[in-house]
Amino acid sequence: MSGSLVFLPLFLKATGTTIWLSWLALLIGAVGGTLIALLRTSRLWPLRVIALLYTEAFRSVPILIVLFFAYFGAPVMLGFDVSPFVAATFALALHASANMSEVVRAGIESVGAGQWEAALASGMRMREVMRHIVAPQALRVILPPSVGVYITVLKESSLASIIGYFELTRTGLLVRETQGGGFGPLLALAAIYFILSYGISLCGAALERHYAVGGATSTDAVVGGMA
Amino acid sequence: MNGAPILEIKDVVKRFGSRTILDGISLNVVPQEIVCIVGSSGTGKSTLLRCVNGLEDIQGGEIRFEQTRVEARSKSIKAVRMRIGMIFQQFNLYPHLTALENVMLAPMVVHGEDRKTVEERARALFEKVRLSQRINAYPAQLSGGEQQRVAIARALAANPHLLMFDEATSALDPETVGDVLAVMRDLAVEGRTMLVVTHEIRFAADVGTRMVFMDQGKIVEDANPREMLAHPKTERARQFFSSIRG
Repeated sequence: MSGSLVFLPLFLKATGTTIWLSWLALLIGAVGGTLIALLRTSRLWPLRVIALLYTEAFRSVPILIVLFFAYFGAPVMLGFDVSPFVAATFALALHASANMSEVVRAGIESVGAGQWEAALASGMRMREVMRHIVAPQALRVILPPSVGVYITVLKESSLASIIGYFELTRTGLLVRETQGGGFGPLLALAAIYFILSYGISLCGAALERHYAVGGATSTDAVVGGMA
Repeated sequence: MNGAPILEIKDVVKRFGSRTILDGISLNVVPQEIVCIVGSSGTGKSTLLRCVNGLEDIQGGEIRFEQTRVEARSKSIKAVRMRIGMIFQQFNLYPHLTALENVMLAPMVVHGEDRKTVEERARALFEKVRLSQRINAYPAQLSGGEQQRVAIARALAANPHLLMFDEATSALDPETVGDVLAVMRDLAVEGRTMLVVTHEIRFAADVGTRMVFMDQGKIVEDANPREMLAHPKTERARQFFSSIRG
């Protein structure tokens, strides 16, 4: 195993690639999921139905199939090739957005009708209620399960190896081939994924404590840190 | 206690599906009147308040507040809500904001006032509701009576022309009801115009300038509180008053 340290830079670089890929997918997924969640809670039923179909469709289809559609289907349907990176980001983000939309919806709905009424009665517009009353309270409900979504995206990103994208898993498998098999590289892969996931969990827990009721909030900026 | 009405409610009908909640309500309120609305649960008292500031839309009749027609789904509703302060049974304080921030939010966000002016006024309001020492507490750290007094300060912060109390003491422990009623008494003495849905008949008799008895979506009696309590004109009101006196 002493010679395997040679591969350390390679593993580090691949870890960076995996973090970048999954983070980007999560970011797009969170934005998309929030939009879908707003449609889900819309007053217009056609919008609600579209959002529901979207969520159910992408939660039900295995991500590998979505990935194949993006990678092999795009040239056929759109007429141009997409890189493995783009296909992987797209597939992961679609999946993440479906999951995030449920998380965000639950967060929005956790804020009671009384909060809406008090804010509306004071003359706030819908958008102002969303920003000052609903969003800060919903965020606290959304945060813990989104950590779970991120960990899922991180692990799902290993599927990008199948379409030839050199993220962590693909790199580990390549190293294994050059070494003529063996468990070493696989163990290294497992360890790195574990460290990443556990690290994310710890960060999530720290954020949760920070945003616990009674702590500092994003609305402090509005009312102007006077506490 | 005379002059043009601040609030005009005319033949208002409110339905939820096929159920009629308000069945032709007419009521005018002039400045400095304290109108106490009493009656059994489910007779539409709270719904009436919620129609006045457009939290509910109406299916018939008309409501005007300071000449502006109240339309729940129109843009003009904001101007109406800005001039009416509402206090809810369940307080509905914003749990993620401190007591002070709760009071300051609407004047800053809705009325666009600057922080310094608002904070000065807010601190004075906390003195008025006797909660100056709890200014930086979060709602979860306050008792029910304290939360409701913060909610009253919040409603006052925007300098409303009308205050509406929707069973403000019904969710409180008996020992904290008095604190909230005392603050409401102070407001009455100040000459505030108030529309009060309440089960506190003693308060209504002492503080109210007028009592409205509602039954099954209709106003059955409308008189001076002491007069109505002493001589209810209808059998329904007689039953109600004797039942709540126990």
